[in-house]
Amino acid sequence: MSKEVPVANKIKTELHEILDVRQLTDSTFVLRFERKNLEFEAGQHVCVGPPNGIHTREYSIYSGTQEDYIDILVKEVENGLVSPSLKKLQKGGFVVVEEPVGYFTINKDHPKGQKYVFIASGTGVSPFHSFVKSHKELNYTLLHGVKYGSEAYDADIYEKSNYKLCTSREATGDYYGRVTDYLKEHKLGLDTHYYLCGNCNMIHDVYDILEQQGVSTDNIHAEVYF
Amino acid sequence: MKYHLVTLGCQMNQSDSERVKRVLDGMGAQWTDKESEANVIGILACSVRQKAIDKVYSKIANWNKRKQSENLITFISGCVLPTDKEKFLKLFDIVFAMRELPQLPQMLAQYGVTTPAGLERDNLNPKEEINFFWKVKPKYNSSFEAFIPIQNGCDKFCSFCAVPYTRGREVSRPSEEIIAEVRSLVEKGYKSITLLGQNVNSYGLDKKGSEINFSELLEGIGKIGVSSKEKFWVYFTSPHPRDMGRDVIEVIAKYKCLGKQIHLPIQSGDDKVLIKMNRKHSLKKYRETVDAIKALIPQATLFTDIIVGFSGETDEQFENSRKAMKEFKYNMAYIAMYSKRPGAASYSWPDDVEQSIKKERFALLTEDLAEVSGAYNQSMIGKVVSVLVRDNDRKSGYLSAQTEGKITVRFASQENLIGRFVKVKITSASNFSVEGELVTVNESSEVEFKHDETKSWI
Repeated sequence: MSKEVPVANKIKTELHEILDVRQLTDSTFVLRFERKNLEFEAGQHVCVGPPNGIHTREYSIYSGTQEDYIDILVKEVENGLVSPSLKKLQKGGFVVVEEPVGYFTINKDHPKGQKYVFIASGTGVSPFHSFVKSHKELNYTLLHGVKYGSEAYDADIYEKSNYKLCTSREATGDYYGRVTDYLKEHKLGLDTHYYLCGNCNMIHDVYDILEQQGVSTDNIHAEVYF
Repeated sequence: MKYHLVTLGCQMNQSDSERVKRVLDGMGAQWTDKESEANVIGILACSVRQKAIDKVYSKIANWNKRKQSENLITFISGCVLPTDKEKFLKLFDIVFAMRELPQLPQMLAQYGVTTPAGLERDNLNPKEEINFFWKVKPKYNSSFEAFIPIQNGCDKFCSFCAVPYTRGREVSRPSEEIIAEVRSLVEKGYKSITLLGQNVNSYGLDKKGSEINFSELLEGIGKIGVSSKEKFWVYFTSPHPRDMGRDVIEVIAKYKCLGKQIHLPIQSGDDKVLIKMNRKHSLKKYRETVDAIKALIPQATLFTDIIVGFSGETDEQFENSRKAMKEFKYNMAYIAMYSKRPGAASYSWPDDVEQSIKKERFALLTEDLAEVSGAYNQSMIGKVVSVLVRDNDRKSGYLSAQTEGKITVRFASQENLIGRFVKVKITSASNFSVEGELVTVNESSEVEFKHDETKSWI
């Protein structure tokens, strides 16, 4: 007689209905789909793909852990395998979603009041958006490096004093220059935990700066994007 | 119906091939060593490197030529990337994910292949995917060595690797099945058992508390060793340094049957390369793990995997990998020249280290490995070691064996000792193996092994 398979033993790859598509810029949008009992920690990612495709891509979860939907922040990549297909999807359509996974999360062992600096380039802000939505009273500073002020995705959810938009091509943010320039001018503490997400060149450069400033590698956490 | 199976890649594919053979045998099909005699040919593919997938394209081109003049059914499974799968659907008759293996008879039936003998289906549930697959009893290739899959899939998304896209998310096999299979193999006299998974030491984590973890699984297996009078060694591969905790090392130290050989892939000795690879651990954390291994199991050998020529790797970063090789004194390293894998994050990054530089780095790192492993092997000279005899050596009149730490030992013998533990005195050493003289063949039980503990051996 066959044994009942525990729910935890079943591989979850299901179709999730799209609840909303919110355009932020010409190429960047927030895709909202039904959560369907998926459990996750802020900072984790899901593999998402179009319902009729063979490819999926990893997207950091953008929404908070207490929401009853899941948001992902997508930037259309020219000739990309997945993002152009996702851009064509509309409310009422479906996406293939795999279970959330990932290790880029806030360590539960950190003391209350621990200071965090989140450093993002472009859509790398996504896990930090989820951190802020999920963890109330988080003691954080978010440095968001973009080219133009229009790429300050949903900046209004962050405390103004905690958020620094670093714009590299125009002086429309809080700081005109790259996040690396900002960091060289502002030391943000050795006891701080630094979370880096986005372009690998940015991550490398920031890593070097933090190392030179004496920050321990134990305090630097990184998630490299494509 | 005669079948032939080509198995490429790692031990996981080899282990999977044992289940494929069981299914095909269950259909009444007969194995043949010769591709040319087979009516059904299958291939278990490897997507870790492009070279491995190129072999598949080459094979299927030849088989499809054969089909023009004879009946032949072809199938492919194993690690296949989505982009290759699309192409394989046009080239192969059957393409399936390994967890769909129990449906292979139905797939072959569509090509007119009948099933005179059925499979044991009373404990199979079509809705269980990977669990369904694990319930297929393997047809073990060896009478003394076995692989036991304990976990499938990968959640790590290292930026150079295609495996998360071929094997899917991490799923752990029920521990009671694993323990039962180990016990059964030990009772049948198996001497070497390897627990397999893309991330063996994240075993149980996907079950979020409803399953034991890896150190607890090893503890359960260790207890089999204590209660059994038989001597056997249990190993595991591949672990991820991120999930390698002190608890695992402590359990390995505690139980004699848990083999004192640790495979701990490092991939690079440079922190920035590790970040770019998305390895989720630093060199410092890796070093702490190795220090714990050396402190708790000083006799353990250390194996690793390293990639040279990863996207953007500078000379200085490569030198850090060389330093790591010398610092950690690996007994063996599987060194690979980086190749882009479709689907992996690094596919869109420039593959900007020239092939000639990759080859140079490969050669240099191999020399470094030869130096450190050679030094270790030299230190074995004069010692009496317990070895498991595995095969006839290429050198006539010699047998090939391995120590508990998986150091290759060659010794002269006319007796058929394959599959037995014996004792060998090491007389000479080279960079990657040692040679010795047979001391005694009476190594059948753990009790006898303990009695001789006063002798100096590894």
